[in-house]
Amino acid sequence: MRRDWEMFELADRFFDAIEQGDYETVEQCYAPEAVVWHSHDCLYQPRESNLAMLKHGMETHQKMEYVNRRVHVFEGGFVQQHTLYVTRDTGFKGKMDVCFVAYTRNGMISRIYEYFDTGQRDKFLGPQANAS
Amino acid sequence: MAMTDGQLRELCERFFDAYEEHKIDEVMDTLADDFEVWLAPFDVIKQREEWLKSSVEGWTRQRRRIYTDRHIDTFDEGFLNRYTLCITEHNGRKSSLQVCVVALCRDGKIYRMDEYIDPSKSPAWQERQKQLKAQEAAAQNAAADETTTQIN
Repeated sequence: MRRDWEMFELADRFFDAIEQGDYETVEQCYAPEAVVWHSHDCLYQPRESNLAMLKHGMETHQKMEYVNRRVHVFEGGFVQQHTLYVTRDTGFKGKMDVCFVAYTRNGMISRIYEYFDTGQRDKFLGPQANAS
Repeated sequence: MAMTDGQLRELCERFFDAYEEHKIDEVMDTLADDFEVWLAPFDVIKQREEWLKSSVEGWTRQRRRIYTDRHIDTFDEGFLNRYTLCITEHNGRKSSLQVCVVALCRDGKIYRMDEYIDPSKSPAWQERQKQLKAQEAAAQNAAADETTTQIN
């Protein structure tokens, strides 16, 4: 049975928590078997590795914002389109358009498919993109 | 009128089958008059006729494009299609891109499509970007030479 409000609430809770640096809530949103697939390498990243990456970002970046969130709920999950803005130590504000597809189980995210354009890395990483 | 899960899936398959086979009339039949598409890599919106023109031009750039491994999910207002775009260039070189499309639909037609694609993964795209950068650098050098000549 579809319970749309639960999906909307889960999407909001997850992205709000990242924005607010609330790692505990972020972690609670992931099911134990959670995996994250990215379009740039087509690999499934394990739960712990992805959480470590998120934690590092939350601790390192001055600010992370998920703007213009558009959420659609489907049977077994949701899709959120957003623009991610990251303010870096240098003050540079990076921008990336992302499509985030989540499949859920027992009110938690169990699989994520994340699509973005690596061709936009200069706009996202800023001056450090050329150095790396 | 809201469309059912079955109607949305059928519409999605019909659009991508027709697009793959270059059946332009069938493609157009799946689109609303006010159809528009947003392309993430360029952050631009194209209206129906402009998009159609660029699609037909795009079809000539490769020998074949196959929209395979389609994973479709439907929601109240439309569908989501995650697929692999397999490209065969005229020289026979093959590549594939992972694409996600979010489409909004009404009355049996698609009226808005958001396309997330990473063209920088395509060898042909990379070569074209290198060419463009080289052309840009050459143009800048030429302009700088002209300025130096004028000063001297």
